[in-house]
Amino acid sequence: MQKPEELGKSFRQSKREFWVMVGIWTFFAIWTVVYNGFFADGGSAEDPEILFGMPKWVIIGVAVPWVLAVSTTIWFAMGFMKDTPLSNEEETE
Amino acid sequence: MTALIAFGLYMVAVFALAIFANRVGKSKAFVSEYFLGSKSIGLWAFAFTYAATSASGGSFMGFPSLIYTHGWVLAWWIAGYMVVPIIALGLLAKRINQVGRIAGAITIPELLRRRYENRNVGNLATLLVVFFMFFYLMAQFKAGAQIMATLLDGVPIYETAVAGVDRLTSGIPWIGAADGDYLLCLLVFAVSVIAYTTFGGFRAVVWTDVMQGIVMGLGVVIMLVLALAQVGGIGKATRALGEMTPPHSVEVVVSRVEVSDEEIRLSRGEWLETAGERGVVRLKSAVLISAGSLKSEPAEALKLTTPAEIDNVLSGFDRTPGFIASIIGEPERYAYGDGQKGVYLTAPGPSRKDSGGFLGVMLALSFFAFWTFSGAGQPSYMVRQMAFRDTVTLRRSIVMVAVYFTLIYFPLVIIFTCARVLLPGMEVHPDRVMPEMAALLTSNAGMPWLAGLLIAAPFAAVMSSVDSFLLLVSSGIVRDVYQESINPKATEKQVKRLSYFVTIVVGVLGLLAVMHPPKFLQHLIVFASAGLGACFLMPMIFTLYWPRTTSRGIIGGMLAGGVTVLILYLIGFLITREFGEYLLLGLHPFVWAVLFSSIAIVGGSLSQEPVSETLRLRYFGISSEKTKR
Repeated sequence: MQKPEELGKSFRQSKREFWVMVGIWTFFAIWTVVYNGFFADGGSAEDPEILFGMPKWVIIGVAVPWVLAVSTTIWFAMGFMKDTPLSNEEETE
Repeated sequence: MTALIAFGLYMVAVFALAIFANRVGKSKAFVSEYFLGSKSIGLWAFAFTYAATSASGGSFMGFPSLIYTHGWVLAWWIAGYMVVPIIALGLLAKRINQVGRIAGAITIPELLRRRYENRNVGNLATLLVVFFMFFYLMAQFKAGAQIMATLLDGVPIYETAVAGVDRLTSGIPWIGAADGDYLLCLLVFAVSVIAYTTFGGFRAVVWTDVMQGIVMGLGVVIMLVLALAQVGGIGKATRALGEMTPPHSVEVVVSRVEVSDEEIRLSRGEWLETAGERGVVRLKSAVLISAGSLKSEPAEALKLTTPAEIDNVLSGFDRTPGFIASIIGEPERYAYGDGQKGVYLTAPGPSRKDSGGFLGVMLALSFFAFWTFSGAGQPSYMVRQMAFRDTVTLRRSIVMVAVYFTLIYFPLVIIFTCARVLLPGMEVHPDRVMPEMAALLTSNAGMPWLAGLLIAAPFAAVMSSVDSFLLLVSSGIVRDVYQESINPKATEKQVKRLSYFVTIVVGVLGLLAVMHPPKFLQHLIVFASAGLGACFLMPMIFTLYWPRTTSRGIIGGMLAGGVTVLILYLIGFLITREFGEYLLLGLHPFVWAVLFSSIAIVGGSLSQEPVSETLRLRYFGISSEKTKR
């Protein structure tokens, strides 16, 4: 049985991780929606700029944040997220 | 024939895994093993079971057809997947696994019931899971049957069997209205999934998910390489797309050049040159010219409007000689993007019905939230998060899924923008774009045998979703209804028999429900997904992270989320007379449901006495005094 102090510590760490994840989501949501909201709109662009073979807005508004989001995910999972014992089992079979 | 062999080999592998899983699980406690793999799922299995369950038929059939129809804007539509792994796996997994173990829970309703020591919370959760999940199951059964029918189309043995089914079922109420190919494929698909899920339980589902995940990943990577090589590079494809304008829907009369005593049937998808101007149309349905007649009845067709595409078809695609199509009446034009070059490269993207285009800014924001948070809120994913072995497995799985989704979703956008260039006129049957593209790419590369692997990918995607949903519904009934309320002292033998029985019955009910195929498949999937996410996302977040949450708050939150989705779909139906959502202020119902669910949880919890100190210490390890500070 896990001690309350250990569980409490793990809970507080999980809560910190929760808010960091929400922050990461917000950052990338703002990036893609705001950038693409301004630059992906084709209302006036009959000949959109092409970069690396794709429309420029796809590179800056989707591909670049995607690569950064994966990098952030790797940092988060391997660097920031802490291991917690999960063995507090009370099977009820 | 290649498809049939590929399918046969694939099914053999699936059943072999189920038999093996059954043997492995024999030495372990039945309920925990059957519904949760004894909570010992390792890295590869956990990462792939999550990824494969997440990528359903929509990812490999619906999504490619949307890319084909609307162009590069789909990169924005799917952009939320860049943060899906961190949110959907990271947001809840560690705490849900920890709380699930403390509670000794096997299912999500059981976890909620024990966390609040309140039977009503568990009963409501079970009811909502079974209700929404059954819609999901129906939709995936239909998708599985459709994909299988598409894959096997034209295989001689299959065509003979279809004709037999047609003869047998014609005139039978309810199922007689369905096509023979649909019924046959539905039966084979459903029986296969029900059999291996029933026999192997959660462990079989997870192991087959791993195999299906690998098939999907390999399929996409191979297709990407072939598509880029054959189109001449992504830059060339994008520039070609920039010149394209949306096609017109037209009505045509097909004439033959010479009178004949022979009756002629032109199939859906045939290309015909147009009378008068230089142009081509593609038939949207089969056309019959009776014996002795020169002309057909009016039929629907698709008329290309881009000169380069017309040249491409005239020079490189087979057309039926001796026939010509005359366009009658006014063409039906796209509501947004008609005649507009560059529309396939930009937002909001062309739309046939919506004058505002395919994807406005508010809808793009909704989808960014929908993909990430509705994924986190699905009970089928939550239950997987209760099954991983330790947090090291979780952390590594998040990284694996992030890399895997990047290799799947962004390349799919590239592949099917190339498909617009390589396969003109697929708007006549957009759901076939994936198998058609696989066949074209492999045949051009001189490797037709490879098509079998590529077209097994969408099938694998649907199968890996159906098996999970099937097990989730049956676990709700066995664990949360029978064991909890009817017979708490049931022996392992009784529970085992009932689990097999219920899994079969739920599967058969799903099969019977879709024998008369439901309409609006994609809407059905989104409805079920939004409904489940709305009912469970915020209640689970508050359950895991806010010690002050009470049973009243949770019941209010589940009901508010579910009712919001139901009401906004009802309004959508009353306005359009079609099954679909109402976008209040341009936002998807899921966003509103999350908002109202949160308000209900906070309001309900604050209006009730806090949970006992014992429960607080048990699940959070902190006392109420510490929380106040």
